[in-house]
Amino acid sequence: MSLFWIVIRELAEIQAMATSKKVITRVEWEKKLNDVKVRKDDMNKLVMNFLVTEGYVEVAEKFRLESGTEPEIDLATITDRMAVKKAVQSGNVEDAIEKVNDLNPEILDTNPLLFFHLQQQRMIELIRNGKVEAALEFAQEELAPRGEENQSFLEELERTVALLAFEDVANCPVSELLDISQRLKTATEVNAAILTSQSHEKDPKLPSLLKMLIWVQNQLDKKASYPRINDISTAALEDSVV
Amino acid sequence: MSDATSQSDIPAKDSIGDYFLDLWCHTSKTLALRPETGAESELYDEEEEEQPTALDTLNSSGGFSVVGPDKLSLLYTNVNLHGHDVGVVQANHPAPLKRMLYYFEIYVKNAGAKGQIAIGFTTSAFKVRRQPGWEANSCGYHGDDGLLYRGNGKGEAFGPTFTTGDTVGGGINYAMQEFFFTKNGVLVGSVYKDVKGPVFPTVAVHSQNEEVTVNFGQDPFVFDLKAYEAEQRAKQQVKIDNISIPQDASYGIVRSYLQHNGYEETLKLLDIAAQSNVPPISVAPENGVSGDAMYALSERKTLRQLIKSGKIDETFSTLGKWYPQIIEDDTSTICFLLHCQKFIELVRDGKLEEAVLYGRREFDKFKKSSACDDLVKDCAALLAYDQPSKSSVGYLLGDSQKELVADAVNAIILSTNPNVKDPCLCKHSSLERLIRQVTACFLEKRSLNGDQGEAFRLSRILKSSKRA
Repeated sequence: MSLFWIVIRELAEIQAMATSKKVITRVEWEKKLNDVKVRKDDMNKLVMNFLVTEGYVEVAEKFRLESGTEPEIDLATITDRMAVKKAVQSGNVEDAIEKVNDLNPEILDTNPLLFFHLQQQRMIELIRNGKVEAALEFAQEELAPRGEENQSFLEELERTVALLAFEDVANCPVSELLDISQRLKTATEVNAAILTSQSHEKDPKLPSLLKMLIWVQNQLDKKASYPRINDISTAALEDSVV
Repeated sequence: MSDATSQSDIPAKDSIGDYFLDLWCHTSKTLALRPETGAESELYDEEEEEQPTALDTLNSSGGFSVVGPDKLSLLYTNVNLHGHDVGVVQANHPAPLKRMLYYFEIYVKNAGAKGQIAIGFTTSAFKVRRQPGWEANSCGYHGDDGLLYRGNGKGEAFGPTFTTGDTVGGGINYAMQEFFFTKNGVLVGSVYKDVKGPVFPTVAVHSQNEEVTVNFGQDPFVFDLKAYEAEQRAKQQVKIDNISIPQDASYGIVRSYLQHNGYEETLKLLDIAAQSNVPPISVAPENGVSGDAMYALSERKTLRQLIKSGKIDETFSTLGKWYPQIIEDDTSTICFLLHCQKFIELVRDGKLEEAVLYGRREFDKFKKSSACDDLVKDCAALLAYDQPSKSSVGYLLGDSQKELVADAVNAIILSTNPNVKDPCLCKHSSLERLIRQVTACFLEKRSLNGDQGEAFRLSRILKSSKRA
């Protein structure tokens, strides 16, 4: 087949695709948007869910007063959860473990991976503070027996012990363990485990709503051209691309 | 400049007031109609469609098979001779479209002489003397060979055969665009749904004494449809969860929601919390398309608190002091909403006589729209009851009604900002705009897909508990 015909066919295809897409003007789209009625109560609940799940206890309490929205869980439980999270974030892992057990001993009993990560974090903190001997002792007594139970634990343990092998830990291959992000990772994990133990979702609903918006817009793009929201933070409606 | 603003200001004011009056019609009132169901009520139930409830006796193939008097059983009475004397019957309605899944089951009471029983889906144009699947635009799972037929006489390998005593199910998964079939409560498999348009649940028998009964949901299904639905939903959710969004996007939206609504105290605490967060969250202080988001924040907070504590006289006098242009036209919709609220507060305090006098004095000038009339009627109806809060108009005494009036006042104050170019943008927070966009996109996507699938519902997201 000559190039000419290939080009002609491609052009026809492009044209077919362009014509099969429905074009919705801004005026039409705004009419559709206006037909959507959103309950204020539901939006308030969405915001409350975010504040509660993210652990903004004082903010949630104030929002309850200002908006009249009842939080879905007892706000007191947030305080305890945030204390645990803070303890991990500031490197007081022992304290955090004790607090989790005060809250509900089952959380760590039923969650060996989380318990291992907390112990690992504890060892990282010992190394960070230059307590090499204590760190070694801790690795042998607490972490090694767990590593024998589980191959992935063992690999993590070896990675952590490797921190001791380097003079300049800041520039060694496993230096990311000493990074603040490692603490945050562990803290997020504990936070999620506590929420789950309280029969609460570990993630707020708002981000998944935003993801849904991106997903459905991408889906609709295949069939129609319409005013999109491209910037989530301003929620401004763009003009449809024709 | 002041001339220009005051002129463009009047229609904007009314459009905002009217918008909230309209919102009252849609939300508060709908809620009031179903006070019992409360939070569980699905608000916009325009999704109700007719569902298959029985076999269609009018359009069934004459003579070859007999539909029982309950219209839920089918018996082949003849001796079959060829391929054009199948006893095939469709349901009385096509499978409903506006949902994620549709499903029905048959029970094989007697596999008869040859066990040529089939379950499937056909369109209204289907020739009712043939097995579902043999003709174009149909699909059927056949009991004698366990094959799946899709639009021709040659079946494809699919699942086990089925016979006397088996329960077999046929379903449509609109989200995945699939037909699926089950046997004795176990999923057999699914295939791409290549049939367009509405399809009817269809059952066929094709040898002497074959007998089946049909369950369109009047009895519990053998197959655990709920679990299957949850599984399918989770599959879809994984795709959505994998989408990445800017890290602090949610935080920014919550913040601008608080700004928009004038929840000033909450906002202050959130900003403090964000700074002490590890790592600290930084969001540009001015976000939102409705100009500077902090505009009149503490004024809006004060007025919201006045309305929520029932102090409507003070609301009027404060507005008169700070924003006289808002209430200068006493026949505007915003004044109407405030007068109604004042009336409601008098009823709440048991000052019925005063309420009557107030209503007579204030309500007469608002005869602009049916929405106004409706609200006046509902307000007046409060007087008829000994315990108005337990009556059908009791919703007026609830917090949502106060919140609605406060939201209207809030939006109108936002529109007085000289930097606002389009006052219509003041009606909605960015959160609300996002929710409206998601909802509209889902509806449009569905309507471009032959109305198949479910709509987006915020209430379902709010209700959904953690996934396993």
